[in-house]
Amino acid sequence: MTTADPTAGVARRPVVSGRRLTDAVSHAYIWTILVLFILPFVALLGFSLTSRPGGSGPVANYRYVVDTFGDNLLWSLKISGLTLLINVLVSLPAGYAIVRHTFPGKRTLFSALTLPLYVPGAVIGISLVLTYNFTYHLTTSMWGLVLAMALGTFPLMLTPIVVALKDLPVIFEEAAACLGATRWQTYRRIVLPLIGPGLSAGLLLCFIIVFNEYLVTLFVHPPGLTTAPLRVFNQIRTAGLDPATAALAVTMQLISLAAVLLFFRLFGTRHLKGTYLL
Amino acid sequence: MTSTTRSIAPLRPGPIPALRAGISAGRLRTFGLLLPAILLVLLFLYYPLVFIVQMSFTQGSSFLSPTGAITTVANYTLIASRYLPNLLVTLQLALLATIVDLVFGFPFAYILVRKVHYRTAVRALMVFPMFGALYIAFGMRFILLPGGPATPILQALGIASTDALFSLPSVVFAMSIFTFPFMVLNIGTALGNVDPTLEEAAACLGARPWQTFRRILVPLTRAGTVAGALTVFGWSIGTFAEPLLLGSANEQRALAWTVYQRGVVQTDYGLSTAMGVVLLGVAFVVTYLSLRYSRGALVE
Amino acid sequence: MSTVRLASLTKHYGATVAVHEFDLDVADGEFVTLLGPSGCGKTTTLRMIAGLVDPTGGRVWFDDQDVTFLPPRARNIGFVFQTPALFPHLSVASNVGFGLSVKGSKKPAIAERVETMLAMVGLTGYGARMPAQLSGGQQQRVALARVLATDPRVLLFDEPLSALDRNLRDSLKYAIRDLQRRTAKTAIYVTHDQSEAFAISDRIVVMNAGRVEQIGSQTDIYLRPRTGFVAEFIGANNALPGTVSGLEAGIPATDDAPGEHRFVVTIGELAVHCRSSQPVAVGDAVVAYLRPEDLVVLDDDAADYPNVVVGEIERVIFEGPTAQLRVRVAGRELRVDVGGSRRLSLSEGRGRVRLGFDAPTVIPADMAAPPPSPDEVAA
Repeated sequence: MTTADPTAGVARRPVVSGRRLTDAVSHAYIWTILVLFILPFVALLGFSLTSRPGGSGPVANYRYVVDTFGDNLLWSLKISGLTLLINVLVSLPAGYAIVRHTFPGKRTLFSALTLPLYVPGAVIGISLVLTYNFTYHLTTSMWGLVLAMALGTFPLMLTPIVVALKDLPVIFEEAAACLGATRWQTYRRIVLPLIGPGLSAGLLLCFIIVFNEYLVTLFVHPPGLTTAPLRVFNQIRTAGLDPATAALAVTMQLISLAAVLLFFRLFGTRHLKGTYLL
Repeated sequence: MTSTTRSIAPLRPGPIPALRAGISAGRLRTFGLLLPAILLVLLFLYYPLVFIVQMSFTQGSSFLSPTGAITTVANYTLIASRYLPNLLVTLQLALLATIVDLVFGFPFAYILVRKVHYRTAVRALMVFPMFGALYIAFGMRFILLPGGPATPILQALGIASTDALFSLPSVVFAMSIFTFPFMVLNIGTALGNVDPTLEEAAACLGARPWQTFRRILVPLTRAGTVAGALTVFGWSIGTFAEPLLLGSANEQRALAWTVYQRGVVQTDYGLSTAMGVVLLGVAFVVTYLSLRYSRGALVE
Repeated sequence: MSTVRLASLTKHYGATVAVHEFDLDVADGEFVTLLGPSGCGKTTTLRMIAGLVDPTGGRVWFDDQDVTFLPPRARNIGFVFQTPALFPHLSVASNVGFGLSVKGSKKPAIAERVETMLAMVGLTGYGARMPAQLSGGQQQRVALARVLATDPRVLLFDEPLSALDRNLRDSLKYAIRDLQRRTAKTAIYVTHDQSEAFAISDRIVVMNAGRVEQIGSQTDIYLRPRTGFVAEFIGANNALPGTVSGLEAGIPATDDAPGEHRFVVTIGELAVHCRSSQPVAVGDAVVAYLRPEDLVVLDDDAADYPNVVVGEIERVIFEGPTAQLRVRVAGRELRVDVGGSRRLSLSEGRGRVRLGFDAPTVIPADMAAPPPSPDEVAA
């Protein structure tokens, strides 16, 4: 009564394999979230291409950006540039001392130097605006803003430099020293070129943050000096939503994106380890 | 034991073995290299913080008055009473944003680390949120405008668009987008350090995915996850673009904005610095815990 | 081009003594090797000579100049590291010319010198390549060219071959020696590899745990070790602890160094005729060292040796050119190396064997390494 069924015991392949399903869901999940990331940007882009009341079309919006907001953009670039310069000048020697020199309390010092990252922006803002007003009398110079930006972002320059220096074997500097190079020659000709990528990662990170910064800027900017992000913020609060403001926001993001892509092009994505950028 | 010729009296001794001098020259150089950084941080962070702590114990703008400052603790008691809702709203928003980031970020990081091979594209897109919470808030405000692009979808879901726009969920949503990449980075690094064969081993031993997650992955990535959560929380308590642009009156009481209002606009220095100190205190507690969990320093 | 003198050179790291009062005189143009196991202080010593490490005590002289605290760049040395340490972002030519360019030499002069150096190491035409494009051996040769380009007065080598394959090591070590001879530079070389040290040195300094065990030529060290460490570290050796039981003017052997004298040592139940250049007294505890190749398997009635013992063969290991025997003699297991036709006849495992040997050197027990237990065998 039991003729053996030849297919009994052979597992049937499911129509949709479990693994493939999970893979599909996984990818869908990632892409959904990524879409959410760029959704605000895309929305603003779309908005910026609509007509303003009284204006005449998308291009006019961007021309408006250049005309009216051009100053703000220039200020943003200028402030960013100066901040980067200060950060580099401060971080390179400090990073070298931290990695190559021995001294007590190194870990404490490093924590103390990276602390600005953990202080809420509003606190930095209020403390600096009051100090500038009552102690340093730095309220009318752009350097007040620059130094505030430098303070907030210099840990982001310091960390990639420290990481890059740690990854650089000491043997190169020893070899250079034995070949007759002075400390400065070794630094300039061997160390700096070899930590270039790490240094650039720091530059990129700081640029992006400072270029788009509005919060601390709101507190400490000298009168008459409005950076582009601050202008966006003020515009929204006073004039409401306007395509030209959107155009400015889009421009800022495009410039930032260009900087990121340039970095990826030049250096790949490896050098951002240890920073807050991937 | 040696068979060398014993050295004769040394000829013309060289410079004094001033090992001490060598050490101090080295120390001086170290200090010189560190000086700019130390100065920057001392002058623009630590002193100002001390300054505002001082000021927080004065009344209003009496700091400036010719008769001298009036010392008081009233600012703090005021915060504990009248401004308590502000503080609570701030904490609430930050907490919710952190939870959202954790819940959605962990799977994201997991998939990214274990399964995805087009990392560069992902990385390129993940930079967008980091350009600033401002643009996120701005973009979302536009999207959620009554009559804007999202209105049809919201109506289909039965939500009035005014409800969606100025509300807690949209603020939290915007905040979590901004901090999402940081959370993913922290978790991703921790996950990257977990050997994938551990998960395979668990599966072979019969564990189902949830069990593997709870009993293997969570304990092993705890340091990175906690570090990420605390970083996100710390950043979230200090923001005001999202609450301001997307929130109702309730959310707009976020402490960071109140600091600005009271401090810069209304020159009530005493109160605003007290608020700042409270924010700072919360941030420090959070940071302390975060550093303890994340094996802090890159320095040996 | 320069003599090197170390006077009581010492290095302490906290409570650890890395190098203890090292004295050494190196003649101009001499090739001296520091030989020893890992952690013996040889690299630390070399780095102190280079100026990469500050000594805790003592002095370093190049000719009559005290260089003890001069930084490396002021000492005019050439240091070859264990890894080539070529600057990855510079071409081979720029690497080789680096030492000259930091001193401000003019480009044409540098280029010419680089050519000469590359030719000297057999890498003409490689100037435009990047270090990553070269093999390990080629990189090390570029490293050689790089240090020679500055015409240093002392060459220092820190185990330059240990990262390379065996066959490469052989050819490169002779290349190093040739270059050193040709340029007539004083060289101090560090290695843990005995055959390397023996192949290319004028003199060898054997080090252990921060101290100098013995300084001498290859034959000195091999045939006349002064401490137990040297006896056991260099080549294989059987260690036999015993007591001096009688002094004698015995049968002279042909390889006695001047000043050596003979005496009898009781080892277990054996009375062994030994020799030493150090004075000994009856009752002294000593250790006799017998090299495996010095133990000769004898036919039954031969008696050409001052010492003849009988032992039980426990194991025969055929190695190809030689066979290793493990023979139990007087309660100890000895290693005997046998070559020629005997190794074939013995591989069938004969039970008992007669061994003859000349008077072995002897080291006072307090200078010997702790003797192996009777069951341990020489390395």
